[in-house]
Amino acid sequence: MRRINFSLLGLTLAITAIGISCIYSSVYQNEGRLWQAICERQILWVGMGLVLFFSFAAFNYRRLWDATVILYVLVLLLLLFVFVSGVVRLGAQRWLKIAWFNFQPSEVAKLAMAIFLARYYSKKPSDSIALAVNKLDALHGFILPLIFVAMPTGLVIEQPDLGSGLIIFFIFIAITLIAGVRLRYVMIFLAAGFSMSPLLWHFLKDYQRDRLMVFLNPNIDPLGAGYTVIQAKIAIGSGWLFGKGWLGGTQSQLHFLPESHTDFIFSTFAEEWGFLGSCVLLVLYYMLVRKGLSIGMRSHDYFGKLLAFGISLMLGIQICVNIAMNLGLAPVVGIPLPLMSYGGSSIIVTFSALGILASIERRT
Amino acid sequence: MRIKFINIALGLLFSLLGAGLFNLQVIQGAKFSALSDKNCIRLIEQSGTRGKIIDRDGNIIVDSYLSYDLLLSAMDVKSAYSTLEAVSRVLGTPLEVLKKRLRRNFTGTSVPAIIAVNIGLNKAIALEELKADYPSIIVYPHPLRHYPYGPLACHTIGYLSEIDHWRLTKLEDYGYKTKDIVGYTGVEEKYDYYLRQEEGGLAMQVDHRGGFVRTLGFRPPQSGKDIQLTLDIKIQKAAEQAFSQRKGSCIIMDPDSGEILALVSTPGFDPSVFVEKPGSSLVSDIFTDPDHVLVDRSINGTYPAASVFKLVVATAALEEGKLDPSRAFTCTGSLHIGKREFKCWSIHGSQDMREAIAHSCDVFFYHTGLLVGPQQIHDYALKFGFGRSTGSDLPYESIGLVPDPLWKKLYRFKNWYDGDTANFAIGQGELLVTPIQIVRMMAVFANEGSLVAPFVVKAVAGRDVYSAQKKITKMRLKKSTIDLIRQGLRQAVTDPSGTANALADIPVSAAGKTGTAQVSRGSPHGWFAGFFPFEKPRFVICVFLEHGGSGGAAAHVAKQIIEEMSKEGSV
Repeated sequence: MRRINFSLLGLTLAITAIGISCIYSSVYQNEGRLWQAICERQILWVGMGLVLFFSFAAFNYRRLWDATVILYVLVLLLLLFVFVSGVVRLGAQRWLKIAWFNFQPSEVAKLAMAIFLARYYSKKPSDSIALAVNKLDALHGFILPLIFVAMPTGLVIEQPDLGSGLIIFFIFIAITLIAGVRLRYVMIFLAAGFSMSPLLWHFLKDYQRDRLMVFLNPNIDPLGAGYTVIQAKIAIGSGWLFGKGWLGGTQSQLHFLPESHTDFIFSTFAEEWGFLGSCVLLVLYYMLVRKGLSIGMRSHDYFGKLLAFGISLMLGIQICVNIAMNLGLAPVVGIPLPLMSYGGSSIIVTFSALGILASIERRT
Repeated sequence: MRIKFINIALGLLFSLLGAGLFNLQVIQGAKFSALSDKNCIRLIEQSGTRGKIIDRDGNIIVDSYLSYDLLLSAMDVKSAYSTLEAVSRVLGTPLEVLKKRLRRNFTGTSVPAIIAVNIGLNKAIALEELKADYPSIIVYPHPLRHYPYGPLACHTIGYLSEIDHWRLTKLEDYGYKTKDIVGYTGVEEKYDYYLRQEEGGLAMQVDHRGGFVRTLGFRPPQSGKDIQLTLDIKIQKAAEQAFSQRKGSCIIMDPDSGEILALVSTPGFDPSVFVEKPGSSLVSDIFTDPDHVLVDRSINGTYPAASVFKLVVATAALEEGKLDPSRAFTCTGSLHIGKREFKCWSIHGSQDMREAIAHSCDVFFYHTGLLVGPQQIHDYALKFGFGRSTGSDLPYESIGLVPDPLWKKLYRFKNWYDGDTANFAIGQGELLVTPIQIVRMMAVFANEGSLVAPFVVKAVAGRDVYSAQKKITKMRLKKSTIDLIRQGLRQAVTDPSGTANALADIPVSAAGKTGTAQVSRGSPHGWFAGFFPFEKPRFVICVFLEHGGSGGAAAHVAKQIIEEMSKEGSV
């Protein structure tokens, strides 16, 4: 057993610190206790997150293998509970009110699905490296896990939280690929999915269609659905090479940019720190994801390997999708930027996930 | 193998994001930077005051007062309705009207839209108080033209309006912009460059709701330069009153310098309509008035000169030695030239030059005109300033028309006959003059031989432009010629049968010439041109009555004016 690797924690803390400074900046111009408290609360979440990080790092991740079923059922129950008595905010029912804290179970669902899939594809005892996944037929190798994943995913999408649902789906595809499930199963599934996509259009909510439409052309509704897209692009673009300086961003400080401390925090950062700062942030994120992947590469345990890959790719895809949507390269889906966006659920889940990564690394 | 693929895909994804960043922040950075500024920077223009226009004694003819406009910077039309309700209570304007104005003037988020113009000070204060609850209200003070004397001297001053396309293309290089308010006609147009204020402004940062955040910069506005006119408000008033409802023009000028003391063109218009109710039906009424109220008849109206022109013929005859000063012709009431009979307006008997001027005998001038010849009359008319600009500082002056045989050949394709000469000699026919040309001609006899350029602007920003304006041309006329004509002009007043005898019993000694211009339609125009006091002339006057009946009527108006002037103590 080794000590916690510094680079993983260092990267995490660096990005988190950038995030907190960014949140501070984005609420800087707001008067009123509620807004001022946002930054303090984020620090509190990070504190709690760090406690979880070290707990998970100290905790043997193999115990998760045993707890997977419980975890899966728990998440399913939580999601059902959200469906029944969740808090409705911004037109979506995604939150559970626990004491004074609104909790978002879909965040946990992402991590839980990564753990579940890692467990599913690594049935062999932990000391055995070889795995007979290649021998699994379509039913056991693909369709069965698909059904297991589809149940919570369906609940998440119904909230509606299409973004998180798609992330879980992506995690599923990624882990099946890495686990060595026959490529043709995955390909057939994806091809079927694409050919069905015109049908899926009808299942989208109105606001989701609007977002897709404004992604293709933000100017069709510049004051409505396209407003955020346009303002985010203006914020990022106006940063130029060196940015407007910390606390100097006009788009975020003067509230032209909505959600400047949550989903669109990257725009806030890019506006104030410019192209150079944004590149540094991108590199930090890239290094974090690569670090996670390399932990997976070095893990001798198949469960640990798959779990590390799952967690890293879960973070990586969230980072990419969030930044892409800030840049106007992806439609607006409500996905926070891990470690930077304000939000207790996201911070706690991300830190727990990174704690698990640290635990895998220690026990390699 | 698959791990490698995922690694590459991840690298590609991040590179794509980097490229996206590069595109937005470096390639399109300037564009988005401008958009960002547009989002959060509002320019509030603050206009300086346009220069005042004062008369020769410093009385204010035109100045400016502070007017208040109500603007609304709304996110969108619907969200402003609650504000409009409050505004409607203050202004007393129906809500529907305000909504309509907002819909019409709304151009975009946080771009202030004009809701009401020229609201009073009290309402402006009341609205300013509303601002606490409705932050989108902007009360915008700006100076507006004020005319204490109403339509007095309106043609000399001109009016203000939004710049038109023609003027904009002409003046763009001098810093004029669309929607600028510029002068139209008169001094307001001619001296617009001096009168106009320099806009200053306030650059401020606003948040997404258009709320004020901080001031970024301020440039103080510059007021325009004041202009002093040569007009004397008392004389101007007297002259305008004498016209009452009559159409026509009157110019009173200093014969030695060319300073115009009064310049009347009736009917006039109220220039305040253009600034206080722009776009209203009152403005279009001015433009479509059948009496063409915007036309300055004194510099822009061209009319037959009639008998007043006889002075030119007389001068030509005497100067060229075509006529002995004591030579007399007998007027029998008409004269046959060719096959036509040319009438005189009366039967005068034997008339020498002096008497002929006093009585305005046509027959005498038929004879004289034939002796002098059309070409020479034409040359002298040009010498006296007809057919060309007077060099005054008022814009859009007409130059009139002085015909000669060549002109008739070229433009009418006809030969010049003696009958044309006879008509020409009494100022009829194709000849067209403006009242200001007539007053300039009369000044030659008042100041004994100098042709002056009339002007109305005495000083700009306290600096005298008189010396620059003064353009006096010596005519080099014989003293005997001028004396003889002056005696004739005096006799027209003193002689009981003189045409200008109406002016005999005024407190000053006047001299002058009347004229009755026959027109193809309507009653004839009436002219009177003269100067006073006779011994040492200080004023030249020209009264013109459009379809006023006769020169006698014009002389009566002149009499009224001169009497009023002497009552005021101006003479």
